[in-house]
Amino acid sequence: MPAEPLLRVDNLVKHFPISRGILFKKQIGTVRAVDGVSFEINAGETLGLVGESGCGKTTTARVILCLEPPTSGAVYFRGRNIFLFDLDELKELRREVQVIFQDPYASLNPRMTVGDIISEGWKIHRGVIPPAQHRSRTHELLQLVGLNPDHINRYPHQFSGGQRQRIGVARALALNPSLIICDEPVSALDVSVQAQVVNLLEDIQRELGVAYLFVAHDLSVVRHISERVAVMYLGRIVEFGDEAGVYARTAHPYTEALLSAVPVPDPALRGHKRRILLEGDVPSPANPPSGCRFRTRCWKAQARCAEEEPALIERGQSHPVACYFPRIEWAASKPLA
Amino acid sequence: MLSTPNCADVTQTVSAPHPPQANSAPLLEVSNLAVEFRLNHGVVRAVNGISYRLAAGKTLAILGESGSGKSVSAQAVMGIIDTPPGFITSGSVRFQGTELIGLPASERRRYRGEKIAMIFQDALSSLNPVYTVGYQIGEMFRRHRGASRAEAKLKAIEMMERVKIPLARERANAYPHQFSGGMRQRVMIAMAIALDPDILIADEPTTALDVTVQAQIMGLLDELQAETGMGMILITHDLGVVAEVADEVAVMYAGKIVEQTDCTSCFARPAHPYTFGLMHSIPRSDKKLARLNPIKGTPPDLMRIPPGCSFHPRCEFRREVCFTETPQLRLVAKDRLSACHFAESVLAEEVLDAR
Repeated sequence: MPAEPLLRVDNLVKHFPISRGILFKKQIGTVRAVDGVSFEINAGETLGLVGESGCGKTTTARVILCLEPPTSGAVYFRGRNIFLFDLDELKELRREVQVIFQDPYASLNPRMTVGDIISEGWKIHRGVIPPAQHRSRTHELLQLVGLNPDHINRYPHQFSGGQRQRIGVARALALNPSLIICDEPVSALDVSVQAQVVNLLEDIQRELGVAYLFVAHDLSVVRHISERVAVMYLGRIVEFGDEAGVYARTAHPYTEALLSAVPVPDPALRGHKRRILLEGDVPSPANPPSGCRFRTRCWKAQARCAEEEPALIERGQSHPVACYFPRIEWAASKPLA
Repeated sequence: MLSTPNCADVTQTVSAPHPPQANSAPLLEVSNLAVEFRLNHGVVRAVNGISYRLAAGKTLAILGESGSGKSVSAQAVMGIIDTPPGFITSGSVRFQGTELIGLPASERRRYRGEKIAMIFQDALSSLNPVYTVGYQIGEMFRRHRGASRAEAKLKAIEMMERVKIPLARERANAYPHQFSGGMRQRVMIAMAIALDPDILIADEPTTALDVTVQAQIMGLLDELQAETGMGMILITHDLGVVAEVADEVAVMYAGKIVEQTDCTSCFARPAHPYTFGLMHSIPRSDKKLARLNPIKGTPPDLMRIPPGCSFHPRCEFRREVCFTETPQLRLVAKDRLSACHFAESVLAEEVLDAR
């Protein structure tokens, strides 16, 4: 029997009510933000969760963090359902699962010094670090994320965006977590700084063995950092596999379209790339299409796609895909690594 | 009534890849442009002497990170810098030979929108939330062409069809918040191209959009450019977008152009360490790289631009001269401009051995 993964998400559903009226609220619909998502993360690995805005990737992350109650489904952390945890267990979970947010400007309290921001968690989770060592441990953490430990008494506004994101990383690491949920951690940063933070996250994983759930819309960054990748569309995972599988042996038409739309920084490839232009916008998650949710924009769609939703199962490409007509042949020139 | 710009004429005068010939002025010629913002706590030197030319039908990409001065330089060309605090301290912007800097506001208005149009990154805040999009697009025709409300409305619907907004007739009566991000960007493009401008400045037109929508918008801009033959200045930080659409690239750093060349050469073999660094710090969707090689440090504060070469604190290849002497943008190979003391060795990739 295989070892229990660090985190297992089982058929997670999160619906938000749409209500009308001020005094007498009446529910007139539901936004199906996350609609049956399952995946697992093993200790020390990086799982990339990628999709366009509104596909439910951030909501998934928030439910796992217990920032939103789920509508149904379960999340198992080290084999135990976190939605059944009592307060003590929940507190311990919140030490083990940390988060790095997208906006390094909004996610740090402007009235706290860097030292206070990093050490705040130790006041709640007593016993992680004895109080006498708070200062020296903060120094170590600042050094670990590549900041000058002498800046411990500075305030967030005295740092650049990239440096602030490093503070966010240090804060996440302070409680020795085993899983860090990174919600678009580099998308607000400049190109040259983005690479620094990506490298930092990789170094930290190698050193400390922490696992990442890397939520992002940038397919290039996700490919770079992830071992396995889940592609989401309208609240569902449409393709799931290791990085080479999803990117080089792409099977789902949505993933194909998404990848073909990413501009490649190589002018020599101009005009040689097959580009799939999708028509229109993503349908509203309040009223998703019947059957396969991608069928309204899919060039392969047939009658069957409207009737029955395709399950996320293996269909001959060694990784699961939720499509009745997945791509099964790839150009020989495309390298598999 | 103002004369309608004649696109055929424009394409005739500047269709050669490297204008100008002795008699015909280039479509747009910017030289030695400098812009600063005088604030209470100091002077921000946002643009420090940049020069470029744009030919009809061509796309010049201005590539740079935040704070490199790429947007401010475009705003100066467009004539939309608030004075004070912003001041154009030197330089000239010539449109088909006519100097635009120093023109009285009423004269300048005849170029803005009519000859040079601009689209912005954030379509929601660039559109007025209390007017319908049809009204806002129609405003171009009422203001510049003296059209009646009814005529303007019809023209607006025509423009919306041109940028492929479905059900244009009904959607013309909708407000900006009722559109998706991609559709809003189309509305803004419709406004920009309404008067058939000769130059379109696109300031990060797809940065806030999803990749599939980005592909739609870039495709639309490409089609419109092919139809009208307008010159385009594309301001972006996305190397992928540059690689796909630009003819020529100008890389900006700390308010200066540090490298300028045709798109293919720039990506194949950068001639400035900053460009070199950028190329090596981006992950790719089409292959897995072992490790990124970022530029260390952060872009400089424009109030305190380092002396000498402004890139020297972050440069891997710097030598003593870089700390004190400012390198000029110079010709380092055929059609290649670079502002680095050691551009030739960067180009020859000799510096790689030194690292």
